[in-house]
Amino acid sequence: MEVNILEQNNEKIVAIKGRMDTITSTDLEVKVSKVWAEPGITLVFDCTGLEYISSSGLRVILSAQKQVSAHGGKMIVRHLSPEVYNVIELTGFAKILTIE
Amino acid sequence: MIQISHLRKTYDNGLEVLRDVNATIGRGEVISIIGPSGTGKSTFLRCLNLLESPTGGSIIVDGQDLLSKQTDVPRLRRKMGMVFQSFNLFNHLSVMDNLCIGPVKLLGKSRKQAEARAMELLEMVGLAEKAHAMPSQLSGGQKQRVAIARCLTMNPEIILFDEPTSALDPTMVSEVLGVIRTLAKQGMTMVIVTHEMHFAREVSTRIFYMDQGVVYEEGTPEQIFDHPQHERTRVFINRIRNYHYVIRSPRYDLYQLQGGMALFCTRYYLSEHIQHQVQLLAEEVLQVIPLDKGEVDLALRYSEECHTISLELLMPPGIVTVWKSPQFAPDALSLSIIQGLCDNIIESVDDTPEGPRVRLIFNLKQNEQ
Repeated sequence: MEVNILEQNNEKIVAIKGRMDTITSTDLEVKVSKVWAEPGITLVFDCTGLEYISSSGLRVILSAQKQVSAHGGKMIVRHLSPEVYNVIELTGFAKILTIE
Repeated sequence: MIQISHLRKTYDNGLEVLRDVNATIGRGEVISIIGPSGTGKSTFLRCLNLLESPTGGSIIVDGQDLLSKQTDVPRLRRKMGMVFQSFNLFNHLSVMDNLCIGPVKLLGKSRKQAEARAMELLEMVGLAEKAHAMPSQLSGGQKQRVAIARCLTMNPEIILFDEPTSALDPTMVSEVLGVIRTLAKQGMTMVIVTHEMHFAREVSTRIFYMDQGVVYEEGTPEQIFDHPQHERTRVFINRIRNYHYVIRSPRYDLYQLQGGMALFCTRYYLSEHIQHQVQLLAEEVLQVIPLDKGEVDLALRYSEECHTISLELLMPPGIVTVWKSPQFAPDALSLSIIQGLCDNIIESVDDTPEGPRVRLIFNLKQNEQ
């Protein structure tokens, strides 16, 4: 999995490529946790290149959502493939997350 | 009519093809013998009319032991006609001559009587107009119908069919099966080695599933095709394809497992969506099952017959209590994905040589396939 964090139009964008699974999610969590506590942040997960997500990857996204909300920020998940969206929907989190 | 007991056949090179075949064939029965290649189906059939000499056991035909030295084997054999995969017609004789040679030479019929009967039988198999053709002028399906007619000229009480459609172009299979179907309706006793499962189901009174040199399971078509009792039968009938992987520790190689699943899906033309679903299911299942309590055998199974997919895990019994335990509440996310992907989850206990093992079957939702 490839993770790139960049800033664009006052948004912190986490661009993910590849697979978010049991093995790679830890690395993602380490990288995202460095920014998720910034007050008032707009954190965007750009999932254009995300091919696969398991519960391990979802846990990182949910942790980020909690942290961002707790620090008065906003989190958006963008460009989900149908396969990845389907997994989020299975868990019921499609209603909780802001998906664009 | 025929009682087969403890039939064995071992070739000179030590290859044991029939280990212990026991079966009864009643008058008017249509028995289809099915099973994987190399499990002794054709050898069994050839032993019944002594084209192969059994190594042991007995074959009793109408009270007479076919293997006894006192038995008039040619006379008994005449009761049994045989139809071969490769037709075995005399290529230098016309269709009519092929049909008349047996009755004239072996049954003592006049040529006129033999021709009259041959014509009746050619009418029955739909080839009257080919009576004077040479075999080389016939298609495969026509040759096989002639072979069946020739077999009937000897008035057999039972006909043995050894894969009668295997050498045929698919377009010709139905014409041959149609003739066999007609014979079944007329009450002819038949034993048919076949790979045509739908035909076997439709035409047979009983099915013998042969595997490992024995009649592994037998029963009515409904019993064998709808409710097979044994795992090997089930795998064969449902044309189940398997991908196996052994999990030996919590640090198993997820990418090797998922890569194997991807190859399996490609090999059986399963979509990328299915590939995604089974990889996800495996990863989630292996997150909620403790993997430090012993080896877990994982199998991805795809039935080409039913188009169903399941993930099966065979594991030590202690793990199941953990699986059912509420202590797994932290893994609710995994459980919700598993439940969302599956129609049902079946648990059973298997007796294995290593002791009881728990089998968990996760049946992937049909609409996910």
